[in-house]
Amino acid sequence: MASRSTNGSSPARPAIIGVILAVALVASIVVAVTIGPANITFGEAWGSIGSHLGFGTSPLPVLRDGIVWELRLPRVLTAAAVGAGLAISGAVMQAITRNPLADPYLLGLSSGASLGAVSVVLLGFSLLLPVAAFLGAMVALVLTLLLASSLGAITPTRTVLAGLAVSSLAGAITSLVIFWTATGDSFREILGWLLGSLAGARWPAVAIAVVALVVAGIPIMLTGRVLDAFAFGDVSASSLGVNVSATRWGLLTATALLTGAMVSVSGSIGFVGLILPHGVRLLVGPAHRALLPLSALVGAIFLLWADTAARSLFEPRELPVGIVTAIIGAPIFALLLGRRRSET
Amino acid sequence: MSGLEASRITITAGKKLLIDGVDCTIPPGSVAALVGPNGAGKSTLLRALAAVQRPDAGAVVFEGADLFDLPRRERARIVAFVEQDTATETAMTVASVVGLGRLPHQSLWLEETANSAAIVARALEATSMTEFVDREFASLSGGERQRVMLARALAQEPALLLLDEPTNHLDIGAQLAVLTLLRGLAAEGMTVLAALHDLGLAATYSDHVIVLLNGTVVAAGPTAETLTPELLRKVYGVQASVLTNPVTGARVLAFSPLPDAG
Repeated sequence: MASRSTNGSSPARPAIIGVILAVALVASIVVAVTIGPANITFGEAWGSIGSHLGFGTSPLPVLRDGIVWELRLPRVLTAAAVGAGLAISGAVMQAITRNPLADPYLLGLSSGASLGAVSVVLLGFSLLLPVAAFLGAMVALVLTLLLASSLGAITPTRTVLAGLAVSSLAGAITSLVIFWTATGDSFREILGWLLGSLAGARWPAVAIAVVALVVAGIPIMLTGRVLDAFAFGDVSASSLGVNVSATRWGLLTATALLTGAMVSVSGSIGFVGLILPHGVRLLVGPAHRALLPLSALVGAIFLLWADTAARSLFEPRELPVGIVTAIIGAPIFALLLGRRRSET
Repeated sequence: MSGLEASRITITAGKKLLIDGVDCTIPPGSVAALVGPNGAGKSTLLRALAAVQRPDAGAVVFEGADLFDLPRRERARIVAFVEQDTATETAMTVASVVGLGRLPHQSLWLEETANSAAIVARALEATSMTEFVDREFASLSGGERQRVMLARALAQEPALLLLDEPTNHLDIGAQLAVLTLLRGLAAEGMTVLAALHDLGLAATYSDHVIVLLNGTVVAAGPTAETLTPELLRKVYGVQASVLTNPVTGARVLAFSPLPDAG
């Protein structure tokens, strides 16, 4: 028998998968910007993008050029960044709450962030959008954890139930705020925030999502080894030299920041943070140094295609992307829940 | 000689006094047993001695250094703690669980893999878990998990090893194997403190014993002099007889209920 590595799976495997996923992400972006209702060919779409990056002139007339550069490309990039951010958030929350069902949507962060975002938009302080979304996410997270602990020992199922209560409340207040203040198309607005939609994503959205990924996502990804130490609980992590409460609150705050920023450009999109880290674990195991970056890549690819499907499957009608992710994610959530039947 | 010296350890939960001004001293390179009835506070005291829970008062000093004053990672290179009944939701392999023991020795970004792999392999060998290296931790029996967690502690290469009921869930053969291993570690200079339920094992395998009752130390000292029939009658309410193991010549305790007083 050949000598075997004592590290479980060989370290080369996650690296290879990472390269494959990175190539797939770039290819997805390249292809997805050429998909859409306006009849624009692959060459025309990339000729247009090239012209904005300083290569040659656009082959398209101004209006159609705007479809590629002002609508499709920022939307595709936002989808990728939001998917990456939500997947990282989910993976971190699962590790740090030792809860395989943790996810920014299920634990109420997304709804809290939506409420924060909607409130400042309607008050006219749009510049504060990501900050308000972050605060909303943080408040919702604290409420969920407090509520879960008041029910007794914090079990995964109790946390999800507490998250459900918090997110229902935040969702109701969000709807109320929109009904009360918005003129025009309240229903579409409410659906956009509650179900998640990237229809309004332009370049400022790209900027917010990418900056959040760099500022919160990358530092989180560097804490992979520390997250591994949480697998056996707080005492165990502490005995391995981890500052448990500082790490927990630091990471949860970073997660709320990341989720808040993503929700502020997309509304609350569910299940991305829940299902993709589980899928990646099946591929490379639970070690977070590989899990976090790979989840980010898979999340980016997943949401990019979910949104492309949402905007093109039933064209000219467009679905909120949250419907697509829920249709895929809810059955998988049910499956994960079923595996925990024995617990209350 | 210095070893572990804890003084005036006091721990409360709410208004309840769990540990009441406990002193204990364990000479370096010895195996000490922490015994006492259920609810005496053994686990609570161990968590304080392992410096994972700060006591309300008191100091834990090992080889002259207050453990709570050391940087966390440095402390984790000196003290390892094996908890009772560990569980995880994570689908980790035995190798990666034991590899966690290397965490305090590694920078957070770079893993010194070759050296670590060798130390992990040695820890698995010491606990007879080598053949389980690629198994999923959650698929193991309670006793096997216990041994994996011990291997993880050994991978920390500690000078002080604290264990909470390390023989729980183990069959008698494995119990003796673990205690023999602990004796071997102590012979190499490690200071070992184990909470033990089984007084017979404590009597046979420990050099020193600390008897805890209702959060206070009622007796402490060399095992043979300390675990006397009088003490055991007082602490556990049982009749103890000291016998000699016909094979090893070691002291053995036999227990019977107290004759009805009256």
